[in-house]
Amino acid sequence: MTDNAHLVCDQLTYRYEPEAMPAVKDISLVIPRGQFTAILGHNGSGKSTLAKLLNGLFLPSEGHVTVSGMDTREEKHTWDIRQAAGMVFQNPDNQLVATRVYDDVAFGLENIGVPTQEMPPRIDEALKLTGMSEYADRPPHLLSGGQKQRVAIAGILAMQPEALILDEATAMLDPQGRKEVFDTVARLNREQGITVVWITHFMEEAARAQRVMVMDHGAMAMDGTPREIFSRVEEVKALRLDVPPMTKLAHMLIARGIQAAGDVLAVEEMAREVIRLCPSCWIN
Amino acid sequence: MPIVLDKLTHIYQQGGPVATTAIEGIDLVIDDGELLALIGHTGSGKSTLAQHLNGLMKPTSGRVLLDGRDINAKGEDTRRLRFQVGLVFQYPEHQLFEETVYKDIAFGPKNMGLSSEEIDERVRGAMDMVGLPFEEIQGRSPFEVSGGQMRRIALAGVLAMRPRVLVLDEPTAGLDPRARDLLLQDIQRLHKEGTTVVMISHAMDDVARLATRIAVLEKGRLVMEGPPEVVFGRFEELTRMGLDVPQGCQLARRLREIGGPQIPDCYLLESLADSLAAFLKGGGGDAA
Repeated sequence: MTDNAHLVCDQLTYRYEPEAMPAVKDISLVIPRGQFTAILGHNGSGKSTLAKLLNGLFLPSEGHVTVSGMDTREEKHTWDIRQAAGMVFQNPDNQLVATRVYDDVAFGLENIGVPTQEMPPRIDEALKLTGMSEYADRPPHLLSGGQKQRVAIAGILAMQPEALILDEATAMLDPQGRKEVFDTVARLNREQGITVVWITHFMEEAARAQRVMVMDHGAMAMDGTPREIFSRVEEVKALRLDVPPMTKLAHMLIARGIQAAGDVLAVEEMAREVIRLCPSCWIN
Repeated sequence: MPIVLDKLTHIYQQGGPVATTAIEGIDLVIDDGELLALIGHTGSGKSTLAQHLNGLMKPTSGRVLLDGRDINAKGEDTRRLRFQVGLVFQYPEHQLFEETVYKDIAFGPKNMGLSSEEIDERVRGAMDMVGLPFEEIQGRSPFEVSGGQMRRIALAGVLAMRPRVLVLDEPTAGLDPRARDLLLQDIQRLHKEGTTVVMISHAMDDVARLATRIAVLEKGRLVMEGPPEVVFGRFEELTRMGLDVPQGCQLARRLREIGGPQIPDCYLLESLADSLAAFLKGGGGDAA
């Protein structure tokens, strides 16, 4: 294990009931500090269960989870771990409690007993980092879905976590809200060095992560860079997932006898690839 | 049985201090057998429009005609008219409430006053249409099945009323890719079998694949309408409205700028691959 190991699962198994089939099955993985990892998998594959194990909401049936070296099974670490690895859930409306954005962000701090005088700077900073400063006095229920999720993220940031675990945080948002939330989290990862575990059904979001893990029947089925994972089109499909449209197109070109690279992810990249394939085809 | 929207306008809290015009002056004909996708930014009025199609909401002004009859007119058998248009809300599974899957799906037909034999036939038929195994789940609680199944139970509840027009508000939102594909297959099959479908969606690649026609709303107005190749061809306008364009069309546009081929059906990846392969093999000249 390396020094910068942040979230670690060691032969982790979890069962909801003692005799039940494991929802998470013998998973060992290391997520280094500062990494942006996406987790994919169809419903029931164990993604959400794993997320809840990563911040100690669930405790392992077998094996261990450690967050910055703290074992989630040791009760004395529980609050430190939940504070260090904050979770954002799918439905923004279930996560906001106050009548004013500012108070919502303060809520978590009150819960963990932060002294009152220390709260304002932390709240201001959290709102700033999520681009929500100008909404501080607004009632949360009048915000868009994307803005609500950013408030939920601000509430967690105020607790100064080292990791963010987002469980389909964009599933209920429109394309604009999705982009807003993804970009916010990507920036927090880049600029603040926060470790991110991003659970999603959107392949184009996973394509932007540094690392993609695919879960199936509670086990880790694939683990690699987005490029490695999505170029294995048949395997991904067998796991009942999709690949990004441009990767699909690349493989269709290959099937038509064109020597395209099979690991293309984005539009710009595909454009460069098509130009490379026939330099003389174009005006310039 | 076309649906005709005639200068349809809806103002929320009209006359009040916070009156908001949700849709304004919409003229639109929805023909038999089409699969019309309704797209637009959040708040553009899509859901408001959809809820007028079966009389759930009443226009502030303008009319909704079904077979030439005003569904909100006095003296019309409006109830019977409205049964012909089935509306499936966003996250319809939040509205499941009965003890069993069977009872939930039977709720609509029961309200229509059908006999229990007829209801039974319809529940079975509707479950079959959306690929729900009758014997296996009819007696279960609708709350203990998977998310994708819950969504399909809600859809079956509407289908059991045998609507001629099916209106779906973001039917695939929040589903995983597998559940999404199954649901879209169901919708596509219903459409092929003759049901008129109106589908609100943000998922442009789904819209591109399924829709026979696309209507675009912006700030409550109908700003664009036509077959996918026409609507997605107006790339700049859609982007300006904050809407996605299928990635295939983004690519086609990028390539066209530097002398690539015209690919009108760029929104279909298979066609795009055909055109691009021909273009590349022909050394750039022959793209057809």
